[in-house]
Amino acid sequence: MLNHTTLSLVLQRWSVACILLLASISFPQTISAAKPQRIVSINLCTDQLLLMLVAPERIASISSLALDPHSSYMAEAASGHQINHGKTEELLPLKPDLVLASGFAARPAVKLMRHLGYKVEVLPMTTDIAGIRKNIRQLALLVGEESRGEQLIQQMDKKITAVTRRLSNSGPKAIFYQPRGYTSGSNTLQDEVMRLAGWHNVATDIGVSGYSSIGLEELLMAQPEQIFTSSYAPGTSSMAQRQLQHPVIRRLTRERPMVEVSYRLWICDGPMIADAVEALASAHQ
Amino acid sequence: MNSSRTNTGLSQGGIITMFTLLLLLLFFVSLTLGSNPLPLLKAAADAVSESPTIISLILTEIRLPRTLIALLAGATLGLCGAVMQGLLRNPLASPGLIGSSSGAAFGAVLVLYLGITDVVQLALPVGGMLGSLAAMLLVYMLAGRDASIITLILAGVAINTLALALVSLILNLAPSPYAVQEIALWMLGSVADKGMHDFWLLLFPTLIGWGLLAGSGKALDALTLGEDTAHTLGFNLPAIRWRLFLALALAVGAAVSITGAIGFVGLVTPHLIRPLVGHQPSRLLTTSALGGAAILLLADILVRLLPPGQEIKVGVITSLVGAPFFLYLILKTRRVQL
Repeated sequence: MLNHTTLSLVLQRWSVACILLLASISFPQTISAAKPQRIVSINLCTDQLLLMLVAPERIASISSLALDPHSSYMAEAASGHQINHGKTEELLPLKPDLVLASGFAARPAVKLMRHLGYKVEVLPMTTDIAGIRKNIRQLALLVGEESRGEQLIQQMDKKITAVTRRLSNSGPKAIFYQPRGYTSGSNTLQDEVMRLAGWHNVATDIGVSGYSSIGLEELLMAQPEQIFTSSYAPGTSSMAQRQLQHPVIRRLTRERPMVEVSYRLWICDGPMIADAVEALASAHQ
Repeated sequence: MNSSRTNTGLSQGGIITMFTLLLLLLFFVSLTLGSNPLPLLKAAADAVSESPTIISLILTEIRLPRTLIALLAGATLGLCGAVMQGLLRNPLASPGLIGSSSGAAFGAVLVLYLGITDVVQLALPVGGMLGSLAAMLLVYMLAGRDASIITLILAGVAINTLALALVSLILNLAPSPYAVQEIALWMLGSVADKGMHDFWLLLFPTLIGWGLLAGSGKALDALTLGEDTAHTLGFNLPAIRWRLFLALALAVGAAVSITGAIGFVGLVTPHLIRPLVGHQPSRLLTTSALGGAAILLLADILVRLLPPGQEIKVGVITSLVGAPFFLYLILKTRRVQL
């Protein structure tokens, strides 16, 4: 029998797996019904939230992108996990008790897995930080880790508030500009991050809503003082990436170099968005 | 044929003057038009002042290179079309149809997506040139020296298909995630969002290519009488052929490596020019270059007049106009052969 001291020690280390293991010895049925133990994620965004929320033992598989250090904030924690490429034939042998996907709800694997009677949950794509909180809570509830979820949200909010407290909202003009001229206008995560970090997103001035591609002339007309970019695949080369090396861009920002914001900070919804806010705020100096 | 007058009654000099004036007009229209109309005089004044403004940057760093590149690439295509039609004595010969454009695209794609151009900028036109030369030689060898119109075109189709398949393959295998979406860029061609650095990269190989082609008019004139006659007239045909192949590869390779394979300008231009200057190749070269420049610049201006948003590629316009013209040429050729 366990006494209270040992139990709280275990709790402090939040080693969820140990509790589950011990608990499951006494009440195997109730536990397995409440908390999924063989969770599979087929999307980078749910991969990362899952790795933050649950103990590794409960994760049966995550998507291959979770290992990519450029895209995945949790690449280190992801190593060693079994990976999948979102194909049904890979998922079936894993016998998942919960399948997580994000955004692209129409994906064939999601449809097929549902059809075969598996529990599949699709988290919506978010365009703001309120949506990130909602997604974390929803996923935490699904995996039975509500308190860990609240903890993540608190940490994220604390970091963001620390940045916003010392900044004004009407900051200098900036834009997020990626290869082939992709930019983020209103109703995007990047727009909110820029605002929180004290920048004014000029893409919204020229009427960009959501994600859109703009030419160099439009970029110039928008007159940003600072350009942020994210390299999805650094070290590779293409016409799209060549466009970012156009000399006019440096002249536009008066030799002020483009600031590279690690893609993994804001490609997905998650508490790492706070790090993106910090990174953009530190570009003021 | 030796009179300085042509069927239109204009002298060669008159036609060249006319085209130059047209190009000047298009040049200024091209500088004015874009995502927003540009007050040209004010932008030019700002450009020479100490601190450049947004409009002067748009003028000097975006519109000017775009316009100059369209002029150079168009002139190359028109000139090379005229030379190829003379050299191969085939009305359907052109950079697009006998593989030199797609070969150039293959060469340029190979060096760009492997990242070689990040180390040596000049690798881009060099890759285009080597690809272009290889494709042209293959077509020439496949078709044989005295190929009929159809054999040459068939050989061209085969090499085109191969080169474009290789372009797709490389773009699919390329490590850059943006590569696959750039297939259309290489197959249709575009002069948008280029810079002066692209223009300088294009300029020197183009000028060398044009220089090598410039003196070929007399030889091409002699070739219209047949290879034997040309030989009797004292022309060293193998040497001329090599020089021209090299020059065509230089000019087409450089143009395609910067703009992608823009179709039909090379095919159509000499046919539009012939009624003005007659059928003598030597009289066709300069005018075809000017005509090609005007056609490509005009097409690029049209692209910019379409509603903004996702800008269509200039190659779409040239192909939409050029393809029906190509069909007309085929029908005309068939009638002659029958």
